[in-house]
Amino acid sequence: MANLKEIQRQIKSVSNTQKTTRAMKLVSTAKLRRAEELAKRSRLFAQKTNQVIAEIASRIQCNKVGGIQSRCFVQNDTPKTIDIIFVTADKGLCGGFNMQTIKAVRRLMTQYKDKGVNIRVRGIGKKGVEYFTFNQVELLDAVKNLSSAPDMQRSSEFMARSIKDFNDGIVDAVYLVYNGYKNVITQELHVNRLLPVTIEDFDCEKASNSVLELEAHDEEKMLDSLIAKYAEYNMYYALIDSVAAEHSARMQAMDAATNNAKQMVKSLTVKFNKARQESITTELIEIISGVESMK
Amino acid sequence: MDTLVLEVLTPNGSIFNGAVTSVTVPGEEGEFGVLAGHVALTTLLKAGVIDIIKENGNKESIVVNWGVVQVANNTVTVLVDGAVAIRGENESDIAAALDEAKSLINSVADSHAMIASVSARIESAAYSHMH
Repeated sequence: MANLKEIQRQIKSVSNTQKTTRAMKLVSTAKLRRAEELAKRSRLFAQKTNQVIAEIASRIQCNKVGGIQSRCFVQNDTPKTIDIIFVTADKGLCGGFNMQTIKAVRRLMTQYKDKGVNIRVRGIGKKGVEYFTFNQVELLDAVKNLSSAPDMQRSSEFMARSIKDFNDGIVDAVYLVYNGYKNVITQELHVNRLLPVTIEDFDCEKASNSVLELEAHDEEKMLDSLIAKYAEYNMYYALIDSVAAEHSARMQAMDAATNNAKQMVKSLTVKFNKARQESITTELIEIISGVESMK
Repeated sequence: MDTLVLEVLTPNGSIFNGAVTSVTVPGEEGEFGVLAGHVALTTLLKAGVIDIIKENGNKESIVVNWGVVQVANNTVTVLVDGAVAIRGENESDIAAALDEAKSLINSVADSHAMIASVSARIESAAYSHMH
């Protein structure tokens, strides 16, 4: 009988877990929809900003003797110091979502360490920060409670430090690593170099044909100001994208957990029934043999 | 009257998108107005107010803290960091927008004179909306 009670207790506990995971899945589904909407609205701004930057950069590159001088565009193949910024979630229970980002950061770190590059790691998100602190990797900055509620102001402040150090020549490149949203069932890992900016090809023909008039006296000053905003914005977008991805990952993980719990309840119920039958049989045998012995 | 298309984009999405007859923006080197047929132009904006006259003659004001404006082919694209549109269904909505706009300006402007001038502009815009 003790065995029966034990199984019953297990069934109850598993089905309670199932209730929790199902609720978490529903919550993530709702949150995902909101995050996705925000990311979609935000993407338009990114497109336009890239367009404006590319246009101004092409113009300077093509019309000025010596091409573009801004540090933000000059490609540097032998950086001395680089910044790696990563974004993870603040919470777990979302499958391999955080680990994927962490592994990508580690890969990037070994890759540059082999070249003798000085690496500064800056992190956003409790999970990633905890991981690196536990593994005794020094973090230059560690921000918590930002990745679950992206905020333009806070992310700009965070990014401003890298931009400043880049412009001052302390840092030669800034990398951003995060796990982004692709669709409801897939996340996509992004390892982007934010600074210096990569512009695929300068469209000189278009630049010389356009009647684009720049009001500012100093074209490069305008470009630098735009690049700073571009980097800040990219940081913000990474946060939004990461939230959407986090919810989709959690949705999947919780869906799998709910299904597993269902399976477990099923197999436990079978086990329970078998044990019950067994105990009834034993009881019957006891009674019958008792009756037999009395004859 | 000829119209041009105005698009005001923030990192959180578009806050204005439509046909207008005139738009006045606070350029880095001074305020300037744009009408249909304006020459192509790209410049920075400083904190201030964008005044819009819509196709139907209605006015609208948007407060911005920083931005880039691009004028090309009768399309004005304004990329801003933070922006608040002074509009609303009733007085309390407008008053709320007004407060938000003021705090936006206070957070970026570096001189009192500028805060005062922008605040005055916002208030007059809000006032004209209420009446």
